[in-house]
Amino acid sequence: MKYFMKVLLAESYKQHRNYFNNRLIYVSLFVWPMFSFLAAYYSYRAFDFGGNIISYISTENILVFILLGYMAMSFFRSVVQSAWNFSRERQSGTLEYIYLSPANRLAVLLGNALSSVFESAVVMFIFGMLIILFNRSALNVNIVGLILVLAIFMVMALLWGVFLNACFLYSRDTDFLFTILEEPMEIFAGVKVPVVIFPGWARIISCIFPLTYVLEALRQVSLNAASISSIKTTILISLVIIMVLLGATLITIQIVEKHMRKTGNVVLF
Amino acid sequence: MDLKVLNATIKKEFQIRLHAYPMSFMVGCILTSFYTTFGAWLMYHYFFRKRLAVDFTELAGTSDYMSYAIVGSLMYLFVVRTCLNVSRTLITELREGTLESLMLAPFKRTSYFLGNMLLQTFMTFGETAIATLIGVFFGLRIHDFSLLKFVVATLLSLYGFFGLSLMLGCLMLYARDTYISQNTLFTAMFLVCGITFPKEYLPSWLQLIGSIIPVTDALTLMRGALLGGLSTESFMLVSLRVFILGTIYIVVGFPLMKQVERIALEKMEG
Repeated sequence: MKYFMKVLLAESYKQHRNYFNNRLIYVSLFVWPMFSFLAAYYSYRAFDFGGNIISYISTENILVFILLGYMAMSFFRSVVQSAWNFSRERQSGTLEYIYLSPANRLAVLLGNALSSVFESAVVMFIFGMLIILFNRSALNVNIVGLILVLAIFMVMALLWGVFLNACFLYSRDTDFLFTILEEPMEIFAGVKVPVVIFPGWARIISCIFPLTYVLEALRQVSLNAASISSIKTTILISLVIIMVLLGATLITIQIVEKHMRKTGNVVLF
Repeated sequence: MDLKVLNATIKKEFQIRLHAYPMSFMVGCILTSFYTTFGAWLMYHYFFRKRLAVDFTELAGTSDYMSYAIVGSLMYLFVVRTCLNVSRTLITELREGTLESLMLAPFKRTSYFLGNMLLQTFMTFGETAIATLIGVFFGLRIHDFSLLKFVVATLLSLYGFFGLSLMLGCLMLYARDTYISQNTLFTAMFLVCGITFPKEYLPSWLQLIGSIIPVTDALTLMRGALLGGLSTESFMLVSLRVFILGTIYIVVGFPLMKQVERIALEKMEG
């Protein structure tokens, strides 16, 4: 365990040095989600809130509702970006060195995701908290529920990152990930428009994204003061997703290693 | 204007597109337009059950929200594609190592950029046509079509976008970065140019930023030509504004590009 932690910390530190050597990184991590959030917020002003069919959303708390969505997404987005960066390690050859060392693979992946989740999303998180504090009246929080959901949320974002990183150990083609995960996540996971109102087929698509479930739980406990028992299905599904992600990651790591041993090449494959 | 250079540029770019073009770029842009439309559709039909804010019709000039938003998203697709490709030309040459030989050749900047722009416009029309079909499916309707206005709006938009691309191109070549600069500009444009909602909803300082980007006015013109709701006088006024803005961008853009080229060549290997 001590050794696992050592690898994990080393990898996080390495990633930190790797990404944050340039201040411009904050533009992509903070400014872009900010702009998208504002655009989503103002696009809501074209509508009459009397016609809205979800009882707990109103003109007062729509700002917080969307902001929670974009904050949550910035966590999930940051790991997509980190996975994208991780795939460069394969091209530049450092991945080969990591595989030659006896470092625990899971610890490496976890360290990578950990550094990006916490460092990348922190700016957006602080900003969001400030806005929410100014709009306290819009909140209707169940504190115990919020703490539980936040814990689940963090673990899930982290494992989502680890899983994506593991996928990239196997494949070199990374562009498709952005096409599949960036914008569809914004629409289908309910960041901008709540999933509850989706037509059937769109709801089925939304089930694919882990963010859908935690985001729903997060909004329920912070805007609707939902008790834990009322969101227990969402929490259970989230826990199952966490287990599945962890399992899938471990299996992928095994497969990748076997495959690499057979083909004998990490860089070019 | 040097037609030879223009012709050669178009030919060269066309060959590149034909043989070594990342299709994912094109598909990605059409998808972006689809997601914007889809989001608007969900909000309008499912979330708010077609109930619009009282001031929407007055500000937008139409009560058809879906057409309003879809024309916006199509225009956005158009801007992103043209700006992206025209402004990326020189930095792509730098990255691929052909900038040096290009600079050795006695080529006219105007023809070179115009050639790129023409080819890109042609390509983008194809993509926009696909996106329009998707738009029709989601409820795009033409209410008050005026051919003359449409032609004027298209030409002026292209003029304005050309200017904008030049400026963005300078920035890209100077900073030697495409990822941050292009995406920042595009997300900002989505916010301030009134793509899916009337720009009057924004705070005044954001409106001010929107008014110096020609996309905002070009979009007003295009909506006027397709959906109506814009009197001929105001159409002419906005047209004039797009023309002036575009001219300023182009007049500043070309000399600036020359300066930046010099800097880029100086530190090419650095």
